[in-house]
Amino acid sequence: MTASAREADAALTDQLVATVWSGSRYFKLGFLLLGAGSLGFAALIAYTFEVGIGLWGNNIPVAWAFAIVNFVFWIGIGHAGTFISAILYLLEQRWRATVNRFSEAMTLFAVAQALLFPVLHLGRPWFAYWLLPYPARMHVWPQVKSPLPWDFAAIFTYGTVSLLFFYLGLLPDLASTRDRAPERWRRRIYGIFALGWRGSEDAWRHYRLAYLLLAGLATPLVISVHSIVSADFAVGLTPGWHSTIFPPFFVAGAIFSGFAMVLSLIIPARKVFRLENVITPRHVDACAKLLLVTGLCVAYGYAIEFFVAWYSGDEFEIEQFFVTRPTGPNSWAFYLMLCCNVVVPQLLWSRRLRTNLKLLWLLSLLINVGMWCERFVIVVLGLEREYLRADQAAYTPSWVDLGLLSGSVCFFLFLFLGFLRFLPIVALSEVKETRRHLARARAEGAAAGG
Amino acid sequence: MADALIAEFGDDAALARAVERLHELGVRGLDAHTPYSTEVVRDALAAPPSRLSLAVLAGGATGASAAYGLEWLLVAHLYPLNVGGRSPQLPLAFVPITFEMGVLFAATTAFVAALVTGRLVRLWDPVFEVDGFEHASRDTFWLALELGAANTPPEERLRAELTELGATRVSDLSRGTP
Repeated sequence: MTASAREADAALTDQLVATVWSGSRYFKLGFLLLGAGSLGFAALIAYTFEVGIGLWGNNIPVAWAFAIVNFVFWIGIGHAGTFISAILYLLEQRWRATVNRFSEAMTLFAVAQALLFPVLHLGRPWFAYWLLPYPARMHVWPQVKSPLPWDFAAIFTYGTVSLLFFYLGLLPDLASTRDRAPERWRRRIYGIFALGWRGSEDAWRHYRLAYLLLAGLATPLVISVHSIVSADFAVGLTPGWHSTIFPPFFVAGAIFSGFAMVLSLIIPARKVFRLENVITPRHVDACAKLLLVTGLCVAYGYAIEFFVAWYSGDEFEIEQFFVTRPTGPNSWAFYLMLCCNVVVPQLLWSRRLRTNLKLLWLLSLLINVGMWCERFVIVVLGLEREYLRADQAAYTPSWVDLGLLSGSVCFFLFLFLGFLRFLPIVALSEVKETRRHLARARAEGAAAGG
Repeated sequence: MADALIAEFGDDAALARAVERLHELGVRGLDAHTPYSTEVVRDALAAPPSRLSLAVLAGGATGASAAYGLEWLLVAHLYPLNVGGRSPQLPLAFVPITFEMGVLFAATTAFVAALVTGRLVRLWDPVFEVDGFEHASRDTFWLALELGAANTPPEERLRAELTELGATRVSDLSRGTP
């Protein structure tokens, strides 16, 4: 390592840790606005607790509606985080080091939103603990042959493992923040959270293996979680739900929406913190390519859903896909879904667009909208037209539904802003290690060539 | 008197060379402090591979078997419910929770084991008292070596060797409490 490499390490550390001290008035404004939105979210949750879910637009047969749409949407968002952290780590995709911290934080905050909705949807949320096999006096236990307790176990595990993975990855960088902190009180706070990390080789040895094992465990986990979420639908007999394609279809959709959210968050953060030297156009391009690939998987899923509905010969399946979705109540969501998830991602074939960050950002927002619509189509349009003619109804969300959705977006962004403000946003030690690895590989290549 | 010495290097290759030389001199009980995990230092120290995976396997197996056992206990033994004539003991339906709990316990074990084996979760450590050690998380590489063990050369010689090997500073390290 030359003196210039050491200086580069020092400069990179200072640059990436400096984001923690660089609070600007825009941050304050952001905190204020999103904090107000989050308070509104809390108020609507309290209102729902107090009055009940009669405040929502849910009806019979559309009993799941917004709560489950939002739940599946937020869980899906979280998937790209684990995909980037775990699967790309196992595949030794070193470019992930620049974006993994963002996406892991995104996962955590998205899972936090997702957890709220099914609990609220219980109607009597204070009985949510009934999902746990606690020693109840009446000896009635959770029915573990139902996908709902599977879901609870999957989401709880996913949230916990994501948190452990995030925190373990953060430890060396919390130590860097502790050591660069300008004030004593900050050194103390970051010192407590760094747990006494000293960069000891002995600690690195175990840490690396633990990180690798967590990545190995998170990989099947990420596949299992959305597969289990899809089982909530696929195990039911509702037309449009009862399909074996659901697990892979849901997983592809989750990673697709997650990558879209990663781009929606990273592109502005890169600009605000001037991280152009760390998150290079190549990294954004790689994310955009993955968005295209997963988008194609999702489009294939849509095509197969239609094909299977037609091929099954089942009149209710055919009606669901060929009548209700294109012409039924709320069919706008179906067209918006096709436009945002199938047509718009095709623009990503163009390298020029993949490197035009403003357009890419807009496109990622559209895909987020499209993926929310996809869940709306599955949940709401599926339930609007079931088997009984007498049991068909249209669904309209109430203002509380819309408020809870926008409130959860505010709360998610509020938490994410807190992450941007108080934690190192790029995996510092990993980026330095990657640079060192590349420099050594280049030197060895030059020596072999020369 | 110091219990140990700690030397600062500007580069992981220099630290690795120092480790090799100290090993030749018969010094044992070496540990490095580096801003990131580096292969050359790892190879030079030649520490045995971590056996954390055994603990993780045990944790995962405990979680999975406990979950399966609990599922069986609840729905096959304590409160069997006849739904469509299906058997109360239905292994396929028990798989998702068994898998999730296996992953949860294994991951928690990996996390806790990494903290315990890495001797973390402490507010203070003697190395924090060493001047300039705050750079260990930024851009410098540190080598700590125990003094006073049998066959270890005298302190003065070790200091001279370390300086000759490229250490930019050599400090005393006291293992006592502050």
